[in-house]
Amino acid sequence: MTLKIALTKGRTEKQVLPLLEASGIDCSAIRNKGRQLIFNEDPDFHFILAKGPDVATYLDRSAVDIGIVGSDILAEQQNTQYDMLDLKTGQCRFALASTPDFNPNQTKRKIIATKYPNITQSYFERIGEDVEIIKIEGSVELAPLVGLADAIVDLVETGSTLRENNLRIYTELQPISTHLVVNRLALKQKRSEIFQLSANLKRAQQLEV
Amino acid sequence: MSNKQLPTGTRDEFGTIAMVKEQVTQTIQTNLKNRGFQKIITPLLEYRDVFKPLAKQTYQPYQLIDEHGDTLVLRPDMTLPVARVMSATGIDTPVKWYYSGDIFRVKRRLSGSYNQVTQAGLEIIGYASLKAEWECLITASEICQQLAIPDLTIELSDAQFVAKVLNVLPINDLMQQNLKTALFAKDLTHYAKLIQPLKNDRFYPFLEAWPWLFGDFEAVLQQLTTLPQQPALQNIIGDLKKTKNFLQQHFPTLTVTLDLSVESPQEYYTGMVFKAYSQAANDYLFSGGRYDQLLSNFQQTIQPAVGLAFDIDAIVAQQALQQPPVKTLIYFEPEQWADAQALQANIPNSSLCLTDSSKAAQRIAEQQAAKLIDLTERQA
Repeated sequence: MTLKIALTKGRTEKQVLPLLEASGIDCSAIRNKGRQLIFNEDPDFHFILAKGPDVATYLDRSAVDIGIVGSDILAEQQNTQYDMLDLKTGQCRFALASTPDFNPNQTKRKIIATKYPNITQSYFERIGEDVEIIKIEGSVELAPLVGLADAIVDLVETGSTLRENNLRIYTELQPISTHLVVNRLALKQKRSEIFQLSANLKRAQQLEV
Repeated sequence: MSNKQLPTGTRDEFGTIAMVKEQVTQTIQTNLKNRGFQKIITPLLEYRDVFKPLAKQTYQPYQLIDEHGDTLVLRPDMTLPVARVMSATGIDTPVKWYYSGDIFRVKRRLSGSYNQVTQAGLEIIGYASLKAEWECLITASEICQQLAIPDLTIELSDAQFVAKVLNVLPINDLMQQNLKTALFAKDLTHYAKLIQPLKNDRFYPFLEAWPWLFGDFEAVLQQLTTLPQQPALQNIIGDLKKTKNFLQQHFPTLTVTLDLSVESPQEYYTGMVFKAYSQAANDYLFSGGRYDQLLSNFQQTIQPAVGLAFDIDAIVAQQALQQPPVKTLIYFEPEQWADAQALQANIPNSSLCLTDSSKAAQRIAEQQAAKLIDLTERQA
C-alpha cells in the first residue's frame, strides 16, 4: 500500500532529504522539483510539499498518512496524532530573548511577542507568570527593538540573528527538531508499511551518527 | 455578521447526502429495534457536570449559562446522558437501549473539521456476561454488512491490559507512568530511551515490541510469550480470543485484529474495547466497549454496561452516492387531485407539480430535467 507523506517544504525538506534517501527512498524527483508540489511517481511513497502548519492540517484530516514537520509546529498546534520519531534534523530551541536592558524579574505583566502564542502561554503558565501575548507573523526580533514588546519567544538555531539585532537569550525553553508524525487510523490501516519506514529511518539515523 | 453565513464548524446537509444519512440511521435503528432494543431520547442540552467523566483533553463543549447561572453544554457524548437517566429514574435492569442524535465538540477553527457529528448506537445495561460484548459486536457487524461496507476490520483491545502488564513488571511507579505515557503516544524515540536500562531483563523483547503490539491477531499473541504468566492477563487474552473466534464463525470474511498497546478511550472503560474501520475510511466507523464504572459518577452501585456508537458521518462518507433516478412531475387540475395523488404514490421519485398552468409545469420539468405527466391531457 502507498504511504502518503506530507513534507514541510523549505529548510525542513532540505535537512531531512538525506535521511529519507539513506532510508532507501528515492527523492530525486523532490530534489529536481521546480514548482511541483505533488510527487506520485514512486508507487510506495507519495509526497506532497506543504507549509509546516498545513502539514498538521493535512494529517489531521487524513489527507496524508504521515507528516514530517518541526516539533515547534506540533507543540503550537497541540498535535493529537502519533508523534512517533524524532528525526533529529533541524535541531534548534525555543528561547526567551530581549534587549540587554530587559529585566526578567521585573514585577509587571510583561508583553511578549511571538509567532507561537500557545507555547508561550504554556511556558509562562508553568513558571506561574501571567503575560500579555502579541502574535507576530515574522521577524519577531523587531518587537522589543521598537518597543512593541518587552521580550520575544522564538526559535533560535545559532543565535546569530539575535546577536545581529543586539538581542540576548534570557531563558532556553524546549528543544526543537523535525519529527515523523503518523495519523492514528493510518497507523492501523498501513501498519507494516509504517513499521518498515520507521525501522529504515532508525537504521539510517544510526548510520549517520 | 451576515445572515447568510454558518458558524465555523457547522454545515447544511441536503439532497443525496441527507437521504443517505437518513437511510443509514434507519438501517441501524431498525436492526436494533428488531433485536428488542428500546429507543431512548435525551435532550441536546445537559448540565456540564453530566460529562465530568470525559477526559477534558478529549473534547471542548459548547457552553451556555441557564437562568440560575448553572453551566449547560450541548451534549458532547451520547452515553453519559443514558447513564444519568439510569441512575435518576430507577429503571429496572437489564435493559437495552438504542439512540440516534447529534453530539457537539468544538474542533480546531478553520481546520475542515465539523463540530456537530451524528451518532447512532446502543447500550446494554445490566449484563456482566461476555455475551453482552458479543451481541454488541454481532449487531454492529451485521449492520455494516447491511450497509455494504467493504473490507471491514474490527479491532479488539482491553482497557485494563496495559495497566495489568505494568503491574507485573519489576519497575517502579514513576517508570510505569513514563512508560505508559510514551507507549500511548507511540513516541518511539522517548520509549526506546526509557526501556534502555532494562536491556538485560528477560521481558525486554516484549517491551521492545510493545508499541507495535497491534494488527494481526495471532502475530500479536505470539509476542506475549516472554511476559510473566498472570491469571488476570490470561483472562483478558482468553476473552479476546473467544470473541475473535466467535466473530469469525459468524462473519468469515471479517478481519479481526488485536491492539494491546492502546489507551482506554475514557477512564470509565473497564473491559473489552472495540473499534471498526475500513481501508478507505478516514475515521473509525464505530467504537465502544465495556464500561462497568459508567454509572459510578451518578450513583454508588456499579452496574455492568456495554455500548457502542456508530459515526454516521464517517459511514455516509463510505457509501457510494448514486445519482438519483430521473424525477417525474405530475401536473393536474384541482378536481383531479385524488387521481394525481394515487398516480404519484405508484411512481418512484415522483412528486405533484403545483403550478396553475400546464405551460409553467413544462418549464419546471425542463429546468429539473424531469419527466412530466400531464393529467389534463388525459382528460381531454
